[in-house]
Amino acid sequence: MIEIFGLNKIYENRVEALKKITARISKKRTAIIGRNGAGKTTLIRILSTQLMPTSGYALINGLNILKDEDEIRKKVSCIPQEARPVGLLTPYEHILIYLTARGYSFKNASEEARKALKQVNLWENRNTPADELSGGMKRKLFVAMALASNAELVFLDEPTTGLDPLSRLEVWTAIKGLSSELVLTTHYMEEAQSLAEELIFMESGTIIKQGTAEEVLSEFGGKVRIESRKPEEGWKRVGGLYINYVDADSAQEYIKLGYDVKQITLEDLFFKYGVEIES
Amino acid sequence: MVLKLNLRFIFAMGLYYGLYTITRGFSYVIASMSLPLTMLFLIGIISRGYLLKYAVIGGFISLISTNALSSAGDASFLRLELKFQDLMVTTRITRIDYMLGLMLSYLFFSLPGIIIYAIIGVVLNLFTAFRALALFLVMLSLLFSETSLAFMIAGMMKHIRNVWGIVSILSIILSVIPPIFYPYTYLPRYVLYVLSISPATPGSVIAQGVFGMQPLNYTMLIVLIAETVIYFVLGMNFIKWRED
Ligand SMILES: Nc1ncnc2c1ncn2[C@@H]1O[C@H](COP(=O)(O)OP(=O)(O)O)[C@@H](O)[C@H]1O
Ligand SMILES: [Mg+2]
Repeated sequence: MIEIFGLNKIYENRVEALKKITARISKKRTAIIGRNGAGKTTLIRILSTQLMPTSGYALINGLNILKDEDEIRKKVSCIPQEARPVGLLTPYEHILIYLTARGYSFKNASEEARKALKQVNLWENRNTPADELSGGMKRKLFVAMALASNAELVFLDEPTTGLDPLSRLEVWTAIKGLSSELVLTTHYMEEAQSLAEELIFMESGTIIKQGTAEEVLSEFGGKVRIESRKPEEGWKRVGGLYINYVDADSAQEYIKLGYDVKQITLEDLFFKYGVEIES
Repeated sequence: MVLKLNLRFIFAMGLYYGLYTITRGFSYVIASMSLPLTMLFLIGIISRGYLLKYAVIGGFISLISTNALSSAGDASFLRLELKFQDLMVTTRITRIDYMLGLMLSYLFFSLPGIIIYAIIGVVLNLFTAFRALALFLVMLSLLFSETSLAFMIAGMMKHIRNVWGIVSILSIILSVIPPIFYPYTYLPRYVLYVLSISPATPGSVIAQGVFGMQPLNYTMLIVLIAETVIYFVLGMNFIKWRED
C-alpha cells in the first residue's frame, strides 16, 4: 500500500513535474498511464527513493520515503525507464550482482537467479553476453531481476516501450509471474488493462482519474466517439482527425452522414485530456 | 558512524564487471595499456635506456591513471545511458559500496597491464619486497583518488557527450603533465606544488623516491594521503545517489 500526501516536485529548471499529488494505491497491481511528460517517472523515482520530492511525502507500507529509505530499499525493487543491461555481462551475472546488492549470499542468489531465469524463459541464454540478446530478452532480464529480488513491491517504469507486439506479450507473461505488489507505468492502454486491476491516469503532473478501466471511463458512459477528417466547429483535433463524443442514440445520424463512429476505449482519455497523442 | 560494507556486492562487481569482462572486451584492455607501452618504447629509445626505469615505474602509475580516465566515461555511461546506478540505488548497497565495487572492477580490469609491467620490472631487477609493496600502495591511493574524480564527473554530467571533452582535459592533468615518466626534480618547486593537485604527481614523486631514482619527499606522502581522502569524500558527495 502506498499513501501519497501532497507530493510536489519542481526540477532545477523550474518544471513542476508533480503538482501536490495526494492518492492511495492499495490494489495489488496498479498501472499509471499518461502521455510522455505526464510525470509518471518522476512519481516512481520519488516513491522508490531515487529522487527527493520538493515537498510532501509518501508512505510505502507505512514507511516514510523521507525518513526510512534504508528500510524501504530492502522491500522495494525498481526497474528504471529505459534501463539497459550491461553489454558484456550475462543474464546470470546481472542477477547475481543485483541480488548480492540486495543482501543475498552467493548461494541463495544463484538459486534465485536460476528460478527467475527459468520463469522468464531466459535459462538457455543465461551465459550469453547481454549485447547479443534481443530487445525482448533484455527487458525480460530486468523482469527476472525484479522476480528474483522477492521484493514486496516492484516498480516497473515503461517495461515494454519500443518492443514489437510479440516480445511485448512475452514480457507481459513474465510480469504476470510476479507475486509481489506491482506498480507499472505505460502509455499502452491494452497493457494497463491486461496487467493491472487499478488504473491511475496522470496528465501534466496531476492525477486525473483513478479506478478500474470502467470507472476511469465512466464519464464517457453511453457515449461513442465520432471522427471526421475535416475540421468541425467545437471538435477536438487529434493529429489529422477531428473527434467528438455523442450519445450512442444519435450515432446513427452521424453514420448516415458518413462519419466514422468508434467505441470508447482508454485511448479516449488521452484524446480528451491531452492535446496530441505521441506514438 | 559505523561503516558497514556489502563485501559480497563489491566482490561480485570486481569479479563479473572487472575480471570476466577482460576476456569479453579485450580491446579495451589493449587500449588501456597502449599509452604506457608507447611511452616505455619512446622513452627507452630517446634516452637510450637511461630513463627506462622511469618508463617502467611510470607505466604502473599511468595504467591506473588511464583506467581512471576511462572510468569517468564508464561511470557516466552506467548512470546516464544504462540507468545501472538508478537500479542500484534501490537496493541495500550504499554509495560507498557502489564506488568500491566499481573501483575493484577497474583494478581487476587493469590486471593484464599490471602483470606485463611486473614482468618487465622483475626482468630489469627493479623490485624488492618493500618497493613492490610501496608501489602497490601508491597505486591503490591513485585508484581511490583518481576514480573518485571520475565519479565526481559522472555525477555532474547531464549528457554523456560532455564527458568525453572533460576526459580529454583530465587526461592531460592525470597522465600527461605530471612527472610520471620523467624525474620530478626536473620541475621547478612551485610547478611541482601546482601539479600536485593531480594525485598522479605525489604518487610519482613517492614512487621515484622509493625506487631510489630521486630523493624521497615526505611532504608528497602527506599530500597523497590527504588527496585520497578528500577526493573520495568529494566523489561520494557528487555521485548523485539519491537525487534532489
Ligand atoms: N531531471 C529532470 N530535470 C528537469 N526536468 C525534468 C527532469 N525529469 C523530468 N523532467 C520534466 O518533468 C516532466 C515530467 O517528466 P517525467 O516524470 O519523465 O514524465 P513521464 O515519465 O510521464 O514521461 C516533463 O516535463 C519533463 O521534461
Ligand atoms: Mg517516464
